[in-house]
Amino acid sequence: MLTAVKNQIRVCLLSVKYNIMREMLNKVTFLTNIGFMMLNNAAFIIQWIILLHIRKEVGGYAMRDVMLLWGLAASCFGLSHIFFARAFSLPELIINGKLDSWLVQPKNVLFSVITSSTDTSAIGDFLYGILLICIFCFSFGRLLLFLFFTVTGAMILTAYAILLGSLSFWFVRADIFGNNMVNSMISFATYPDGIFKGTARLLLYYVIPVGIEIYLPVQIMRSFDVIGLLFVTGYAVLLFAAATAFFYRGLKRYTSSNLMAARM
Amino acid sequence: MKKYATIYRAVLMETLQYAANVLMGFISFFIIIFVFICLWNYMYDEPASLIAGYTKEQMIWYVIITETLWFGARPAVMARQAASDIRSGNIAYQVNKPYYYPLYILSRFTGEWSIQLPMYAAFAALAGGILVGSLPGFHPVTFLAALPCVVLGITINGVFKLNISLISFWIEDSTPFQWLYDKLILVVGTLFPIEIFPKALQPFFKLTPIYTVCYGPAKLLVDFSTEKCLEILLAQLVYLAAGCALMAFVYGKGVRKLHVNGG
Repeated sequence: MLTAVKNQIRVCLLSVKYNIMREMLNKVTFLTNIGFMMLNNAAFIIQWIILLHIRKEVGGYAMRDVMLLWGLAASCFGLSHIFFARAFSLPELIINGKLDSWLVQPKNVLFSVITSSTDTSAIGDFLYGILLICIFCFSFGRLLLFLFFTVTGAMILTAYAILLGSLSFWFVRADIFGNNMVNSMISFATYPDGIFKGTARLLLYYVIPVGIEIYLPVQIMRSFDVIGLLFVTGYAVLLFAAATAFFYRGLKRYTSSNLMAARM
Repeated sequence: MKKYATIYRAVLMETLQYAANVLMGFISFFIIIFVFICLWNYMYDEPASLIAGYTKEQMIWYVIITETLWFGARPAVMARQAASDIRSGNIAYQVNKPYYYPLYILSRFTGEWSIQLPMYAAFAALAGGILVGSLPGFHPVTFLAALPCVVLGITINGVFKLNISLISFWIEDSTPFQWLYDKLILVVGTLFPIEIFPKALQPFFKLTPIYTVCYGPAKLLVDFSTEKCLEILLAQLVYLAAGCALMAFVYGKGVRKLHVNGG
């Protein structure tokens, strides 16, 4: 059992390594994508300088906290798109019957699929998050927590994408719905939870899991709480397990389109 | 021009067939609007206070209008197609067709937004009306007067996005440049009116596409004045002429660089 898990992790890491090596064939494009994505994210600092010029804090967040929020959101997005980019285009594979080539492989289908592609610009997102925390609120302990929550956040974001993407096994047009919901998670993740009130706040913790992906970790990084840390960890593991189970349940309904294609 | 009108009509009919897909896109749009409504509700201490001369309702409506233009027109799809045509070499099959490729792409773009934008505008009006209330001082005549500015703003944005895509003739991937342009428009143009920036920076922003693409049309719909309308129209015509001249120049240069390797 343990050997099988170790082998699977090794295969996943090799897959990501080769994805990145493939992207690096054109070094200028590779580096431009990373650098410009960091610049692209940095543009939002202007937005927060203006907003925090109007009010000293927004939703209980000062500049340092907003940067922590932004950094974590960018890093989680980056990490999930470096390792599991294909999870976000799962509906396209299901609808067009493109899963065949992974079904015949002697490894875990879901992990083979989701690690089969890497988004180069996501490396820029990941590095931007680390850079923000190093510039605005560095401490060794916080950096460790930040890296840990980047992993749990990436797991939650990926699991959410798998759950919504797997709906395509049952429903037509679930792809558009799923993409919209995943994008909404990213939209909410970059604004302080204090600006949302009532039902919206409940939705952000219980329907769209951005509260547990980003808001709760930010609170824990601001004031450490071991129960919160355990809760976030447990939630990430359970959500990922649920998403995996849901994908395999849907996979039983999968029908091939007899598509002839070569995977290079 | 007749052939471009035919392309426009064909895309218009094609987009109509997929109107249900546009409706599904309302989820993201609504969430973005909702986030900004929450944000500006928080930013205004007192509902009657002013920020940069805008009331809370005006500020929220300004953002709703700019976001409607952003979501409803979606020049990103058109820009991606042009960049992909160049990267994949597909453009080799387009340049020998009896049309001018940049105008072909712009006709397609116009055909798409002609259906999408009114749908997004109707949804935005409904959502804004329910969540924020009506826009104070708004009159239907204002809308008709601002309409040419809206159309010109979207077209200028399309021309500039296409210009950036044409960079793909020289570098493999123009997407990073699209990101920077989009962020300039999104962060500076759609989220805030120009008046919110320091006075020293405002003349600079009036020289950027932000003034003609986002600020101009939204400002006229939120707070119309004839002088402002004429000023914005003039700026848009200058911008459109400059953008088209640049497009012709870049495309002319780029297409001469094209190598057809067979296949």
